[in-house]
Amino acid sequence: MKPAPFTYIRPQRIEDAVAQLVEGGWDAKVIAGGQSLMPMLNLRMVSAERLIDIRRIPQLTACKDLGAEVRIGAGVTHARIQQGDIPDPSNGLMPKVASRIAYQAVRNRGTIGGSLSLADPAADWVTTMAALGATVEWHGEAGPQTGPAEDFIQAAYTTNLGPTDVLTAIRIPRLPREAVWGTYKLCRKTGEFAHAMAMVIRGGVTRAFLGATDGAPIRLPSVETELQRAPTCDAGLERALGEAMETDIANSSRELADVRRWQMRTCLVRATRMSFGIPELAVSA
Amino acid sequence: MTQTIELTINGKAVRAEVDDRTTLADFLREHADARSIHLGCEHGVCGACTIVIDGAIARSCITLAVMQDGADIRTLEGLGDDPVIRQLRESFHHNHGLQCGYCTPGMLITSRDIIARYGAADESTVRDALAGNICRCTGYAGIVKAVREAAARLAHDRSSDADASASVVPRRIAGSL
Repeated sequence: MKPAPFTYIRPQRIEDAVAQLVEGGWDAKVIAGGQSLMPMLNLRMVSAERLIDIRRIPQLTACKDLGAEVRIGAGVTHARIQQGDIPDPSNGLMPKVASRIAYQAVRNRGTIGGSLSLADPAADWVTTMAALGATVEWHGEAGPQTGPAEDFIQAAYTTNLGPTDVLTAIRIPRLPREAVWGTYKLCRKTGEFAHAMAMVIRGGVTRAFLGATDGAPIRLPSVETELQRAPTCDAGLERALGEAMETDIANSSRELADVRRWQMRTCLVRATRMSFGIPELAVSA
Repeated sequence: MTQTIELTINGKAVRAEVDDRTTLADFLREHADARSIHLGCEHGVCGACTIVIDGAIARSCITLAVMQDGADIRTLEGLGDDPVIRQLRESFHHNHGLQCGYCTPGMLITSRDIIARYGAADESTVRDALAGNICRCTGYAGIVKAVREAAARLAHDRSSDADASASVVPRRIAGSL
């Protein structure tokens, strides 16, 4: 349960980190909080000859409120988002999501950029950034690049990042003031990776996503249509959401086992209820 | 490869040569004699190695010693006189908050953070915030009771001695579970 030997390097600038990746090739790995990479190194599921620590690069921990959007450095920890240390463009969704990631000891070190770069399908930021319509910024041999968070993940643990790219920041558009949200993830134990996840945003913008799939989050356009015309959340709407979700999954050409679809449906209904301000344990008439 | 790091461990300045791959937990146990750090799972699941880095709790088995150059580290050894730890120790003792004791150092450090964050919290908050620390003996009932009792006593002490509050419990941290 100890990592195999490697050389640890702590570059001062993002350009130096990229240069290290170019030099190290496939045997070089980037570490920030290390809350997923360190367990994998300890278990020797992953090996690295060169470990490049980007946690202290100042550019990566900076945050800026740009008015219409907020730019968050990739090295910002979940705890800083949870505690409201950075501007929140999401009407409270991001602090709520951050507060439910793993455990406090992990939130204090794990970073939003690390979570997106690893792209575990069950990771909370993968679905949250897609739902908020965020833009991902990264830096590589070819210089700075950007792309939508919704299309950032190609498959489980596979992103648009090339072997020499480092995720640098996430730009999150500010939700309209009237926008409300709901989020629910199914975990058998508090803090573990989710088995199913749903997130809905309504009011001004309408977006609905399923997360913790076998790959990228799944957008639910038919569910969004139902949500747009729903004045209240009742049993009728919940049935309609379930049916719309089935249509959207079928159209997405993704396959989910029956049990996963039931779990997703439950998450979607609970997230929707939350967006309507209904307490978690209430049953719709 | 080895590197030289300088850091503060329980108030003492330490300079040491460490192997790049050495985890912080192994370094603190072997070079700083911090044997309160227990290694249960060594992949960040059990919480027995929880310590305080720059004021925030962290798992020492999934961070590297070389990454802590310049850090201020506290382990249970350095918290013997901490009023919250003192109260927790007494409450764990009275409420059967331990049996074999392997998880206890991590439980105490995490409980101290829970009290700082949530004050006299309700049972579900305490259970939620303790979920990252595994105990295979007690079934948690005694631990949860101990944390709640300690929090209540500290809150009571604080209200009867307002001057001491700042030193007893760090500022309440915003953001709830």
